[in-house]
Amino acid sequence: MAARKTYEIPLNRVEGDLEVRLDVDEGVVVDAWSAGTMFRGFEKLLVGRGALDGLVVTPRICGICSTTHLLAAAKALDMIAGVTPPPNGVRLRNVALMAELVQSDLRHAILFFLVDLAGPAYRHHPLHEEALRRFEPLRGESWIQAVMETKKILEITAMIAGQWPHSSFMVPGGVAFMPHSTELLQSRYILGRLRSWYEEQVLGCRLDRWREVTSAALLDEWLDESPAHRESVLGFFIRFARSSGLDATGRGHDTFLSFGSLDLPDGTDVASPDGGPHLIPAGFARGTEVESFAPEFITEDVSHSLAALHEGALHPSEGATDPVVGEHGSRYSWAKAPRYRGLPAETGPLAEAIVAGDPFFRDLVAREGAGTFARQLARIVRPARVLPAMETWIAEVAASDTEPMYHACPPIEEGRGYGVIEAARGALGHWVEVRGGRITRYQVITPTTWNGSPRDSTGTRGPWEEALVGTVIAEPNDPVEAGHVIRSFDACLVCAVHAVDLRRAPGALPPLPAASRPR
Amino acid sequence: MSLLSTETPNVVQLFQSLDLDLLWHPSLSNLPPTEQTILHERLVSGRQHLDILVVEGSILHGPDGSGMFDTRLGRPKRELVAELATQAEYVVAAGTCASYGGFGTRGETQAGGLQWDRGQKGGLLGPDFVSRGGSPVINLAGCPCHHDVMAGTLLALTSGFPLPLDEYNRPQHWYGVMVHQGCTRNEYHEYRIEEQDFGQKGCLFFHMGCHGPLAGGPCNKLLWNQRSSKTRVGVPCFGCTDPEFPPPYPFFQTRNIEGIPLQLPKGIDRAHYMAYKGMAAAAAPRRLKDRITDI
Repeated sequence: MAARKTYEIPLNRVEGDLEVRLDVDEGVVVDAWSAGTMFRGFEKLLVGRGALDGLVVTPRICGICSTTHLLAAAKALDMIAGVTPPPNGVRLRNVALMAELVQSDLRHAILFFLVDLAGPAYRHHPLHEEALRRFEPLRGESWIQAVMETKKILEITAMIAGQWPHSSFMVPGGVAFMPHSTELLQSRYILGRLRSWYEEQVLGCRLDRWREVTSAALLDEWLDESPAHRESVLGFFIRFARSSGLDATGRGHDTFLSFGSLDLPDGTDVASPDGGPHLIPAGFARGTEVESFAPEFITEDVSHSLAALHEGALHPSEGATDPVVGEHGSRYSWAKAPRYRGLPAETGPLAEAIVAGDPFFRDLVAREGAGTFARQLARIVRPARVLPAMETWIAEVAASDTEPMYHACPPIEEGRGYGVIEAARGALGHWVEVRGGRITRYQVITPTTWNGSPRDSTGTRGPWEEALVGTVIAEPNDPVEAGHVIRSFDACLVCAVHAVDLRRAPGALPPLPAASRPR
Repeated sequence: MSLLSTETPNVVQLFQSLDLDLLWHPSLSNLPPTEQTILHERLVSGRQHLDILVVEGSILHGPDGSGMFDTRLGRPKRELVAELATQAEYVVAAGTCASYGGFGTRGETQAGGLQWDRGQKGGLLGPDFVSRGGSPVINLAGCPCHHDVMAGTLLALTSGFPLPLDEYNRPQHWYGVMVHQGCTRNEYHEYRIEEQDFGQKGCLFFHMGCHGPLAGGPCNKLLWNQRSSKTRVGVPCFGCTDPEFPPPYPFFQTRNIEGIPLQLPKGIDRAHYMAYKGMAAAAAPRRLKDRITDI
């Protein structure tokens, strides 16, 4: 078939290094393989270190969500120590993490995703001039605003954590410091500033108005209701997606996973959407059918992975990272393939919304499918759910700043524990084993390991490999359409490739094994 | 990501005022992949001038010295970095990993720095490397590098102001101060009022593994995110600006001999230090013993 070609494409702005192999037939992607191109081995260098050292080492896996790794590490140690942080410890952990989350969502949306629309691939699109004015790097008005406003909200994290990124202020039992009440009062102003900008420029409406959008039909009504809606970042994204076909791409396996996150402290006024213990509920969904989540159903399949050679799929508490060099049959990636009940699952803001039973996103995916548009839309509007709870928790801490933020716990000598939470990009888990006060096993499964996983023993593609199939590529030298699909998962290869890679020179990806080679 | 937090100038002012084009940045650029490859060829052949090359992250030499743990289109990235370094007026290592190797120097990734391997000169470019502008690699150590240090370095290099370097080729201006300087727990340190557990008022040096008096860096001089620092909020300094970071011993605990830290403040004489601390503890005022003085 003369028209069928294979392209290997390096991608930037995925917070790390990613190369994707696409098989393109008559301009349509018919198969896809993806791989990070850097192996870092963070888990192995934790073995033998002190019991608390995950608090220092794992935040440094990633520069954009270091606080998230810190929380997963701290929760694993809470479990081993058998200690529950006091309510203010939970609140301060949450608030520092939420500032990072909002930062990450807005930087991703504007600096990483929408910036593509200002690229040369769209120079003939009718909205290109507008995209340039808004999103051109270092010049676009929304680009500049996003840098300034997200920088400001990180001051809240710095007041609690000392610095952003890479603090280690969460410790088993809570946090190391209670900010002064004047700082907490200041942080309410910082948050108010971010909220004003988000409402005026990103949404184009008040949070209350956005919450009234509970169906796909109401989204269309909302867009037509006022120029402020159409001219906002969100409004522009919707108009662009509708006019460029972005809303017809990127459908994955329609399986969704959320580990649940942001524990509700005792006595809080913040309510969870499902009556459960988290602001962001946990669950697994096939389509929009949600079932409860249990960490026992997570396995790591290494049938196509060079990360380890063990037989069958293992639970992460038993898993190992032991990369091998050389030819090993059908193994084409150093990434492992995490599976839930044996199935691949996508994770991130859209998965969270579906698991939480959000009426708008359930209606949208029922009508249009869970693809690039729904995934990216869920990310842009997630701060609308997060900001009000942040306001409440800051106020609650300020009103009770003489209450403890830390419960002392004995030195951690022995035990096994895990911390499973939601990062900006989705489900993140740390599994830790300590013996004699030293780490004997540390396994991390990041959201990008779920979303960007290789095939498993049944030959089933990972979520974004699957989502790429069917994508129409206009210009193979600038396959911006494939970039949109992958970026809609907010790919973070910095964190995934702590256990991912391909070796072999030259040629970025190793030769495909016969079994998965296109016929 | 750290650089985006710089305030004066902010990152937009920085690039608008410097008459510098940001040719490529992994997180900020939207150059299509083919144009990126063309740009790389123009830089390597000298047809595109390169004023400053900033490298973040360690140079990976694994597995088994092949460099294939970190590639771009099948080539070890270390080859790309070495090619670009020969064309640049100045080469800047952003962070401890690019400077000295950092994480992974003791592991299978065989990480190293641009011109150093931990505390030894060498690295990818070799001990004698001098860039076209006449400087060795400028090491902006820290995990991460402080945002104002990066911005200040770019300002100094483009403005032609001298940037004297210390013994580890870090700008003296920012690394010639100790992290300890400016810590709001200094009073507690001075009179040896010690924090024994998280969340107390006290100095973190004697039990909690703080490297503030051991490591050079501007954390308590410039502050982070215009606000604070780890030591101010009760988190020990982990010494991330040190060429030997991460150390092989556990964080959060101070190795000691009979209660006296094994590693004393940089350059101090042990016998005199013990005498001094004994007297200081005896002289401690009530406001510190009773933890009344705030942090």
